[in-house]
Amino acid sequence: MSRTGAAPLLSSTALLVRLRLRRLGNQLMAGTRPRKKAGDKTRTGNPGKKSSKVILYLGGLMMLFGFGTIAASAISNLHHALDAPDTFWVTVEFSTALTVGVAFLVLFLWTSSLLLTIASGELAKPDWDLEWLITLPIRSETLLWARILERSVVNPSGAMTLIPVCTLIAWFSGYRWTAPIVGVLAAWPLLLLAALVRTLLDTGLRLTLQPGQLRNLHAIISVLSIVAMYLAISMGLAGKSDFMLGIAATMPDWLAYTPMGLTVRAINERGLADAALLSLTLFAEVGVIVWLGVALLRYQLRHGVIAGSARESARDSRITAGGVQASAGTSRVGRLLSAVQNRELMLLSRDRSFLVQSLVIPLLIVGGQVLLGTSGVATSMWKDPNVLASVAFGLAAYSLSMSAFQTLNTEGHALWLLYTFPSSIEDVLKDKAKLWGIITLAYPTIMFAVGAVVAPALDWKFLGAVLTAFLGIPIYAFIAVALGIFGSNPLEQQQNHKVKPQYVYLYMTLAGLYVYAIVTPFPAQRLIFMVLSLLLAFALWQKARDQLPYLLDPDASPPARVSTSDGLIATMLFFVAQGIAAAVIIGRGHVTGAKLLIAFSIGGAISYSLMRYVYAQAKTEGVPPILSGGSSRPALGIAGGFAAAAFGLTYLYVIGSLGLLDDVSNDSQSYESLGLWVIPLAVIAAPVFEEFIFRGLIFGGLRRSFGVWPATLASAAVFAILHSALAIAPVFVMGVCAALVYERTRSLLAPMIVHAVYNACVVGMPTLFV
Amino acid sequence: MIEFQQLTRTYGDFTAVQPLSLTVQRGEVFGFLGPNGAGKTTTIRMMMGILVPSGGRALISGLDCHTQRAEVQRHVGYLPDNPIYYDFLRGREILQFVAEMHGMERAEAARQALRMLGEFGLEDVVDEFAVNYSMGMKKKLGLACALIHDPDVLILDEPINGLDPRAARDVQERLKLAAASGKTIFMSTHLLDMAERVCTRVGIIHHGGLVATGTLAELRQRVEHSASLEQVFLSVTEEGAVQASGP
Repeated sequence: MSRTGAAPLLSSTALLVRLRLRRLGNQLMAGTRPRKKAGDKTRTGNPGKKSSKVILYLGGLMMLFGFGTIAASAISNLHHALDAPDTFWVTVEFSTALTVGVAFLVLFLWTSSLLLTIASGELAKPDWDLEWLITLPIRSETLLWARILERSVVNPSGAMTLIPVCTLIAWFSGYRWTAPIVGVLAAWPLLLLAALVRTLLDTGLRLTLQPGQLRNLHAIISVLSIVAMYLAISMGLAGKSDFMLGIAATMPDWLAYTPMGLTVRAINERGLADAALLSLTLFAEVGVIVWLGVALLRYQLRHGVIAGSARESARDSRITAGGVQASAGTSRVGRLLSAVQNRELMLLSRDRSFLVQSLVIPLLIVGGQVLLGTSGVATSMWKDPNVLASVAFGLAAYSLSMSAFQTLNTEGHALWLLYTFPSSIEDVLKDKAKLWGIITLAYPTIMFAVGAVVAPALDWKFLGAVLTAFLGIPIYAFIAVALGIFGSNPLEQQQNHKVKPQYVYLYMTLAGLYVYAIVTPFPAQRLIFMVLSLLLAFALWQKARDQLPYLLDPDASPPARVSTSDGLIATMLFFVAQGIAAAVIIGRGHVTGAKLLIAFSIGGAISYSLMRYVYAQAKTEGVPPILSGGSSRPALGIAGGFAAAAFGLTYLYVIGSLGLLDDVSNDSQSYESLGLWVIPLAVIAAPVFEEFIFRGLIFGGLRRSFGVWPATLASAAVFAILHSALAIAPVFVMGVCAALVYERTRSLLAPMIVHAVYNACVVGMPTLFV
Repeated sequence: MIEFQQLTRTYGDFTAVQPLSLTVQRGEVFGFLGPNGAGKTTTIRMMMGILVPSGGRALISGLDCHTQRAEVQRHVGYLPDNPIYYDFLRGREILQFVAEMHGMERAEAARQALRMLGEFGLEDVVDEFAVNYSMGMKKKLGLACALIHDPDVLILDEPINGLDPRAARDVQERLKLAAASGKTIFMSTHLLDMAERVCTRVGIIHHGGLVATGTLAELRQRVEHSASLEQVFLSVTEEGAVQASGP
């Protein structure tokens, strides 16, 4: 197969590097080019993902900066721990102890970046190109060398970890603006070693180990990589570095003669001859190691590169016994579960990297944050139930992002099977959301059990925090599944392209908002956040459901329809536009009723016309009409309005006679400051804009998925909680009346009349006569 | 019964399937022939609700394949051109899962799965992970998945493509058996000898448009007496010789 006169090392390395960089570039640029055209039916194609690139670049820069900061403070910490006090050390020669310490830091960063690189791929899967490359007329030894050289150049995460630390060592050794260049040059031999170890593992070891063993190894490596990364980071954190500095102090002096030590010494040495000598020694050492490694690789590859099948044979493996039992459904749990849930659990029990990714890694990452965080969460957690509940919820939410969010990705290329079943795909997704909602409840259950034992008091505060966290997790399981529909690329071959990062960040942000519901001391706010989260879950689920018939469609997308989420967006828009308008109009002057009316109207008009414009552009179905239907519209509206007003006035009378009105009268001050302007505001502006959003979009959107009553109650609840505490109950009743009238007439005029009549009676009359 | 009413599909500016109207009667074995990229798989995926038609609709037993997908699947068994299965699941478990999703009790599903695997000669590999199966075994497993709920209609995308001669013969025998028991079969293929042996009627699709339909005898008549299906195929799919025929 190999013959002399084949492509020599340098040119084949250059070829491989170019190929790899071209591929990396194509991946980064994918989607930014115009759509593929005629004849090219992209069956696995996905629409472009422009925004994810920005996040990628931003993430890269932040990682460089982050590792630089950590390296700087870690070196400084090492100096304070290892050197005698009062020695001035910056820009001078490192002491032997410091050299060894810094070498230990480099070794640790090198190890953790190497483990991360291996963990991000899949060890059990053959590398994409080796079996193809081996058929080219390149000698296999040349090919191995070229592969290692190429991987030493194209290794983003390794470069991102090692170049900052080498640059910082150069900076502390007295280099200034040349420090980054020295950093890049000094990092290269280390990257070469990383490339060697990686190739030994994923090319050589893959041929000797069983796929099952490889998967276990991969699971172990992905756990270790996180632990190693946290330990490396801890060296740079104030107050957290003692453990690692203690280990650094016990490192033997011969560490200075390893490649890591030689790298540190070569950078630190200012004498040109000595530095050259050290560099030569370093290169000789690395060269010998790589040469030995390649020899080992050749031995590993002595039978060729063709590996066995992708999975171990199931029959002779240990998992058979458990698997048969689970699949036969004889276990008690198995019988309670649907076919989909049963299958998901079976996959989870067999696919160890899925298990580790979804359940163990979140524990490590959140645990690491808690232990390394500076806010003392680790200690206050057991004293303050709110903190405990927040951490527990955060842990479960994180786990959901690795499991429920990945619902489509776990189906992967077998997604077609779901389309052959006589059940809706939505039901399958619901099954999965429920399953993960229950599995991830395990974290808070365990944490609260421990918390209940060590808690200072088991009071209402504890119970409230526990309950809020428990209720939030199933809601976020549904949100994760719904966002995962948009954020997944199930047909993508490469592991790291299966998720669109912006949707993960969106999910994480939303989950972060819920923490506010847990920590807020006001039960009313807690309730508001829960209702809003629930509505958000419904809205996202509805959007995701529209998407389901198009999951495997390379370029068609669902027709635009009015959705609950539109209502939520319009509400946000209304608030923001109103706020900006108010700020501009009022400026430094006095708040007057006219100004508030104008700001409110501008906000309402902007949100109203923008939504209308977008709907018209997208030819959206189901846009709420204002005038349509039969002749009973105004009459029904007036009747509904008086019914709601009667409740509202009675309510206010009762509250007033109980003396409760004074407590909340602060709320109504805004009305008083309005003066007579309250009348056009309450009777014209508010009904027109608010009815469009709350009845037209939110109720109309909910109605698409739910019956009359759930949609009515949910839309009225959202409408009510956005009002002051005093008004919640009567406004809720008004919302119910308006929704029912709208359901009956199918035109917005009627609920607008309900709203106007109600406001005229409840808000306008007291202003006029009291 | 399968019916296409002006079924159309475009990908951006590219028309993959031109307005297509066709009726396949109950009990027919219909061969959907055409060169690579003619629109066969696109049409089949629209029948399965995997792709959404850009225009028109496909009906199976009077039900719309897009809007009533779940209902349609009660009557339909489907074999894709390249069946891919869940990792870490054995053939037996996949088949049992499919049976359960079709509404069978778990124990019954397990029994049926084993029975079907036996019928398809997959007894030796029931406990092997399905991703390790060879192409022929994957297709047989796919056919078992398609048949396990005893559907009236079979939709098969290149059922014997990539199979070795023995496996191909096995599958053809299975299809003949299914046809004899009264099932309607709609199958795409570009293997003409297979179409000649199994199909009662064929349609030839080219550049997204149906250029010929009829029984084999009718099609032969069109070109010249005693022409082979291959000659018919080459004649109607010749570049520039696109002449649409009615459904």
